Amino acid sequence: MGRAWGQLAVIAGALVRGIEAAGDRALYHVRMSGMMTLLLLRSVARAVTPPWRPRPVIRQIHFIGARSWLLIVVSGAFTGMVVALQFHDTLVRFGTVSLLGSAVGLSLVRELGPVLAALMVIGRAGSATCSEIGIMRIDEQIDALECMAIDPHRFLLAPRLVGGVISQPLLTAMFIVVGVVGGYFVGVGLFGISAGAYFQGMYDSVVWNDVKMGLIKSIVFGLLIVWICSAKGFLLHLNRDGAFGAEGVSRATTEAVVLSFIAVLFADYVISSVMA
Amino acid sequence: MEMSTRTEGAYTVVELKGEVDLHFSPGLRDRLLSELDDGHPVLVDLGEVGYMDSSGIASLVEAYQLARNNDLDFGLVGVKGPVLQVLQLSRLDKVFPIDATVDERISRDAG
Amino acid sequence: MTQTDPAPDTAQEVLIDVRGVVARYGHRLVLDGVDLEVHSGEIMVIMGVSGSGKSTLLRLMLGLKQPTRGSIRVMGHEVTRAGTRELYRLREQLGVAFQGGAMIGSLTIGENVSLPLTEHTDLDVRTIRIIARMKLEMMGLSDVEDMMPAQLSGGMLKRAGLARAIVGDPKILFFDEPSAGLDPVTAVELDERILLARRAMNLTIVVVTHELESAIKIADRIAVIQDGRVLETGTVEEIRASGDEHIQDMLHRRPRKETIDPDAYLDRLTK
Repeated sequence: MGRAWGQLAVIAGALVRGIEAAGDRALYHVRMSGMMTLLLLRSVARAVTPPWRPRPVIRQIHFIGARSWLLIVVSGAFTGMVVALQFHDTLVRFGTVSLLGSAVGLSLVRELGPVLAALMVIGRAGSATCSEIGIMRIDEQIDALECMAIDPHRFLLAPRLVGGVISQPLLTAMFIVVGVVGGYFVGVGLFGISAGAYFQGMYDSVVWNDVKMGLIKSIVFGLLIVWICSAKGFLLHLNRDGAFGAEGVSRATTEAVVLSFIAVLFADYVISSVMA
Repeated sequence: MEMSTRTEGAYTVVELKGEVDLHFSPGLRDRLLSELDDGHPVLVDLGEVGYMDSSGIASLVEAYQLARNNDLDFGLVGVKGPVLQVLQLSRLDKVFPIDATVDERISRDAG
Repeated sequence: MTQTDPAPDTAQEVLIDVRGVVARYGHRLVLDGVDLEVHSGEIMVIMGVSGSGKSTLLRLMLGLKQPTRGSIRVMGHEVTRAGTRELYRLREQLGVAFQGGAMIGSLTIGENVSLPLTEHTDLDVRTIRIIARMKLEMMGLSDVEDMMPAQLSGGMLKRAGLARAIVGDPKILFFDEPSAGLDPVTAVELDERILLARRAMNLTIVVVTHELESAIKIADRIAVIQDGRVLETGTVEEIRASGDEHIQDMLHRRPRKETIDPDAYLDRLTK
């Protein structure tokens, strides 16, 4: 009889611990989300109030935008080529190959341009940003700024937000243009569609609303990427498992990249359905 | 800080009184540089200065360099106590020509 | 070997007043009721081994962390309750030298050292440049302004960090582990510069360290911290004469006594 009670106690104990752990985890995520949101609000507030310093923003545009140009060009070209390839296959079956230009243009402008450009930037600039800020955190540089009465939200984060919001639409535009050229080489060069049909189709089908969608997506993605990646680095010291040091930085970077991916895809769906 | 200027011999003597800090050093800097730009050799009388911060010292340094570039005489007089200590800490006591009074500097020039 | 300069005989104005401070990291109790006073013009060394809570105490004084209980007044400001603006205004009068120098990696050494001046003053850039170079020279660093932090050695970074901490002529200088990671010769030189800076700039200095020799050399007063509590505060002589056995162990570099409970030990090994 006593044995049964004992076993019951053990099971109950394990259950309670399990609930505690789940609760702990939930609380942690709620707390982190809250801190990240506060971070965003503070940084945006600093970004829109004077004094404005162009130089750090320009540096960020260079870091996020200019240094990604080759990656964007290469991925844009291949994307355009693949899209043209795949659509050609389908359109041929329906006898509407002349629509290739429209298909390539629309898919690049509305969807593939913004999303893929965002994914490229996450991989390159996003992870680098998270690491850079994470290292600053463990090296006490952020504490040093605070102790010099310099607001890190203004000094570090605001320029990055502005730089990201400016760079992302530009990179997306570059991606789309290169993609259209890539589609041209496949459609006109490879499959012999008339160049006129290719571009005319695109001109007729892609309207301002489509461009608007692409633009809004790229701006939102730019903001999301910089926000999430900077915040994960900045809030490194609050990470669970208290992994500080190099281990903590690499873990935070991985989480930042994954979280950014998901956020971009989620936002993509929301914007697409709202604007459809 | 109070600042006044007078002429003694060939020199413009800039006399300071009080504490030289962040707020007043730009004024001091402007005065010294403009006197030197006008071609006047300058002596800075620190006899009544109880405290001078880094920005004040930096103004003196910049003025001295300008004086040297323009081949003009420059110097400090009446440096005492805390100000002397700060100059010593920056090893500038060996750099500036320092004399106890304006008269001593003038006779040193002559002799 | 230089004698410690006696603290200037200014009226014993209390610049930092720590009372009843309790601090935690998560569930872990780090400081358990700490009282401390730092007087104007003195060099106060907070001494303790790793994990004693001394670094946490420093962070609390700077407002980088909030205590669970207690009060901390720095130059009359209650740091535990200060809003951001008040805190920042206070910090403009403080200088902090962090353990590794904490130089901003994307700026040159010159830009780093000038940072407090470029951000908070209207001084001409040429004036700022001269001041930054003067402070670097005071720390024995010449011609480094155009170098990036990655190009400097650990010792040089520490000295650059110290130069930056004093560039704005602060009222109080905080120094976190001055000698950590330095060879003995460089460590001694750094101690000398700290004493020199105090004399010429009339600084009040708070040093956090675990190095005994350094503490004895530069301190006017020492506060010994162990396991989150202040064991004793006093001048070097008073600490030396302390009746506390932990302090005597520390002074004579005797390892802490370990008591082993054989049963508990066996359990730990075989559980």
